[in-house]
Amino acid sequence: MTGATTGRLRELSRRTALGALGAGIVGATVASWPRLSGSDIPGRGDNSLSIAIMGTAADAAARQRAIDAFTRLHPDIRVKVQAIQAVDWKDFFTKILTMVAAGTPPDVVYVATEGAQLFADKLAHPLDEYLRRDAADMAEFFDDVHPSLVEAFMYKGSLFQLPMDWNAANMYYNTTAFAQAGLERPADDWTNVDFRNNLAAMRRVRPSDFTPYYWTNRLFGGVVPWLYANDTSFLKETRSTGGDWLWDSFYTNDPTRNLRSGGYQWLEPNADDPRVFETFDYLRGLVKDGLGVRPEEGGGSSLVGLFASNRVGATPAGGYWVQGLHEAGMKADDYDVAFFPKWRSQRHQFGTAGYAIMKTAKDKDAAWEWIKFSASREAMELIFPNPVTTPARRSMVNEALYAGKGPAHWKVFYDTLDKYPTTGPIPAPPQQAAVETALMKNVSLAVSGDERQLKQALESMQRDLELALRRQS
Amino acid sequence: MSTTIPRRDRRKQAATAIKPATPATSRTESGRHSQRWLAWIFLAPTILGMGLFTLVPIAASVVLAFFRWDIISAPTFVGFDNFAEVVQDPTVRVSFLNTIAFVIVAVALQLGLALALAVMVQEKMPAWLRTFFRSAFFFPLILSAASVSIFMRYLFNEQFGVVNWFLSLAGIPAVPWLTTPGGSAAVVILVYVWQNFGFSFLLFLGGLASIPVETYEAAALDGATGWRKHVYVTLPLLSPTTLLASVMAIISALQVFDQPYVLTRGGPGDSTRTAVMVIFESAFQRLEFGEASAIGVILTLIIMAITAAQFRLSKRFVFYQ
Repeated sequence: MTGATTGRLRELSRRTALGALGAGIVGATVASWPRLSGSDIPGRGDNSLSIAIMGTAADAAARQRAIDAFTRLHPDIRVKVQAIQAVDWKDFFTKILTMVAAGTPPDVVYVATEGAQLFADKLAHPLDEYLRRDAADMAEFFDDVHPSLVEAFMYKGSLFQLPMDWNAANMYYNTTAFAQAGLERPADDWTNVDFRNNLAAMRRVRPSDFTPYYWTNRLFGGVVPWLYANDTSFLKETRSTGGDWLWDSFYTNDPTRNLRSGGYQWLEPNADDPRVFETFDYLRGLVKDGLGVRPEEGGGSSLVGLFASNRVGATPAGGYWVQGLHEAGMKADDYDVAFFPKWRSQRHQFGTAGYAIMKTAKDKDAAWEWIKFSASREAMELIFPNPVTTPARRSMVNEALYAGKGPAHWKVFYDTLDKYPTTGPIPAPPQQAAVETALMKNVSLAVSGDERQLKQALESMQRDLELALRRQS
Repeated sequence: MSTTIPRRDRRKQAATAIKPATPATSRTESGRHSQRWLAWIFLAPTILGMGLFTLVPIAASVVLAFFRWDIISAPTFVGFDNFAEVVQDPTVRVSFLNTIAFVIVAVALQLGLALALAVMVQEKMPAWLRTFFRSAFFFPLILSAASVSIFMRYLFNEQFGVVNWFLSLAGIPAVPWLTTPGGSAAVVILVYVWQNFGFSFLLFLGGLASIPVETYEAAALDGATGWRKHVYVTLPLLSPTTLLASVMAIISALQVFDQPYVLTRGGPGDSTRTAVMVIFESAFQRLEFGEASAIGVILTLIIMAITAAQFRLSKRFVFYQ
């Protein structure tokens, strides 16, 4: 019996087995070809408008109601949203660039201020012609959106994105920690000295297991709002000419019309400015005296939990925090928000985001229709039903959005622009990634040692920034 | 006893031996031929994979190192400019020095720890406990380096991390692990060694198992016990394994990226920036693929030189039984 079996097996072996193996490999390759070639990815290989956003599959699904509404209006345009997970915007842009390198770029990308000029300079198509054509339809949008947000998306006189959402670096504070230290709500024009005194008061009451001021090392909400408050920055800020066509069409009567330009330009480093030194020295003092942490690299994802568990007194963040704190169990009156403290100026920092049409988009007209629709009140209400960010439309930042979630002074969010129109965007030239690396790598050193180390760190930052700006200019 | 074969029988025997010779040779050749094909068929996936995903990218990198290319525009030939810029760039220089320092410390710790634990486990553990430790020490290696590093970020957080909490129980003030150059380098090395020593441990365990017991018995008779036993028997007989483990550990450590990138993003300052991190930043953040390729070429040459030196030195120090 055994011998017979062995014999049959022997008959089957080698040639037949190899043939079967080969056929199996070929069959498996053919069957899995769509996966191997990536052609099974929704939207690839057909004429759908592919839209890349930073987020998870859940974020993409959350946009489905907006997509459905868009499809009812434009049944001829198919839309597919591709959510790309990333640690931060820099990481997201890296992934988009990888898609470009792979020859599979999306048609439309949701881009934040950090990458606005990178896209405008290399990848995106200007919206000017569409805005001129549809000026009548778009007037209502611009009436509802602060010009500072629009100007942040101007590059050399052209507009590349419409702001959909934005956030200012405001100061969140724990009301319980403030009350324990006998502190009241800060005045709208509180200063950096007041701020330091408040931190010291909180530290006296809670000497351990508590951080009066927590901040992270990044472009938004790190050292930059302090530099802006001290009327300086780590890059020299200038403005482009041009852009009058937009301001004259949509913001003729705006009281800040004269402040507007063809977009921001950051062409030279400014880390050797004495005010930059002064600002870093102030932060170094906070660290040295145990009032603030040494800033860590990376995003602030862990910060919501720490703040919600009453272990942080104050931290800079935008309106995007409200929903997260609500979900972490904070009640509306457990925390509040104030303007960032003033120093020489009360200029604040903000970041905004919106869709950019890629130069390589298959159908730019369809892409514009999606952007125009997304800017409508109807679409923005579908996309931002919760305070996960600050909507660009002023009318949407209302009582209803923050009901039951807080903070009590939610008006601070939009007032940052309305009351302080010189408030500026995140400094992000086309070389943003290199500039951000140059900033971040020197911030920790600058605020963590003695004065000599601070000087060395700023000298190093100046050198790194020179290199970063020179390399791709 | 004589076994002389009569001449007639010898002729007959030779004839029978010669007769089937022709077909037998033919079958052997045909067998060898088909075996050769079989070998190629089995090797094909590896050769194809190596060619497509290793050799072609290496060749492409070498070519790209002579161009300026940002993905979007057409590449421009710049000769040796990329190499010149890379050599003058202080960040690149620091990152290579960091990498070399990291290799020296991390590999020494990794191999030392792996060898010590392997000797301990091999000598003093019952079989079931040995199996347990084998799995336990290897386990970190199968975890994603990125997720381990994210987890470690929380553990080593200065304000709220568990590590500092334990230290506080002993009255030790909070250590700024990830925000000072020394602290961050220590954490990166610690996390890397913890995650990677299991592989060297398994290699050493295998090497120790292959040393004959008789050798130890003979050494014991000669009076070699305790440390002397390990110095004069274990280490020399383990030298081929040590060579393999060190070659693999050094190559791996020279390419360290995940742990420092996730833990510290290279900071504070450039204190934990490594060569591969600079390649990543140049290519995918600054869009300077030519410069990134030039750094990659330099790193490849360094890896090749170190590996060649190791094999050359091994002739003196490696003892094959």
